[in-house]
Amino acid sequence: MSEILAVVINIIIGLAGGLAVGGGFVAFLVVLDIIPRLAQISKSYQHICWLEGAVVSGAMFWTAAEFFNWRFSFFSLSASFVGVFAGLFVGMLAGALTEVLNVFPILAKRLNMGNFIILLLMSMVIGKVVGSLFDWIVFRAM
Amino acid sequence: MIELNNHSTPTLYLRLRRKVTLPKGSFIYLGQLAQLLVEPELEGKLKQIIIYKPTEQDGNLVLINMLQIIKEVKTLEPDLKLEFFGEPHILIELVKTKPAANLFLLTFACILLFIGSGLAIMNFHADVSMMAVHQKMYTLLTGDVLEHPLLLQIPYSFGIGAGMMIFFNRVFKKKFNEEPNPLEVEMFLYQESLDQYVIAEEYRKGQKRSDLK
Repeated sequence: MSEILAVVINIIIGLAGGLAVGGGFVAFLVVLDIIPRLAQISKSYQHICWLEGAVVSGAMFWTAAEFFNWRFSFFSLSASFVGVFAGLFVGMLAGALTEVLNVFPILAKRLNMGNFIILLLMSMVIGKVVGSLFDWIVFRAM
Repeated sequence: MIELNNHSTPTLYLRLRRKVTLPKGSFIYLGQLAQLLVEPELEGKLKQIIIYKPTEQDGNLVLINMLQIIKEVKTLEPDLKLEFFGEPHILIELVKTKPAANLFLLTFACILLFIGSGLAIMNFHADVSMMAVHQKMYTLLTGDVLEHPLLLQIPYSFGIGAGMMIFFNRVFKKKFNEEPNPLEVEMFLYQESLDQYVIAEEYRKGQKRSDLK
């Protein structure tokens, strides 16, 4: 009897935890405006339900893959393909953070550099790319 | 020819701009501040009315109230009826000739951003154990366990750069889309908040001055 109880409690806790994490994850994406931004760029406001579906199915697929230790055996370049898209996502995330969006206007106004915003933006982007490469190529010990 | 009114009293329709930038040291004329709709004979004269003579004390920002304008116009043309639309005040920014940007500061800012954002992304990776995740992803996709899945990580790094550029809608000078990107929206909102604060402050100061009189 107690085994059934243990199973049921486990299921409830798992569901509750998943609910909380899922809600938090979606809230994170909403706050950063990533999905609306993508819809704006691809001019696909009507099909936004597809984007939402992609997020949900992606989260579920990769969660399962991680917990159940799935393994496929695609060719090596598939890793590059996935890597580029992962990078694109992280890049958009980084662009949406407050530290970028609120720092730049103030920086431009204070230092009187409104015309050079593009230059400052580019140095930031290149800095991130180089930092990331640094992390993987030079920090081999970690 | 638009029939502006069919009574004998001429009417001046006035719409103040929200904000103007004017050179420092010169007087402020009505024509610079507002759009005027009035009988053509009066238009030239009205545009030349001096609304305000800025002094050194005023600094860079001057707030002109609609009441001041009405007073000046009525002094010149007592019979004129005034109707106005829009905000009842206008913010004037007085600038000297545009100062050239400081090259030294610019270089400093670029280097700061370059190193700072590199540091931020490295911190982010350490925070979320990106290395372990990449290894797991690589194993998931190809089945080999590899300690440094560079094939995944190098495209990933370039993807970060591309992602930020997509977000900000530009590659150097080229734009992808005509719509404003979030950075431009933020800059606009910041400027708006600044202006609103200045306007409120100026009203408060004006109120204090008139209380003391």
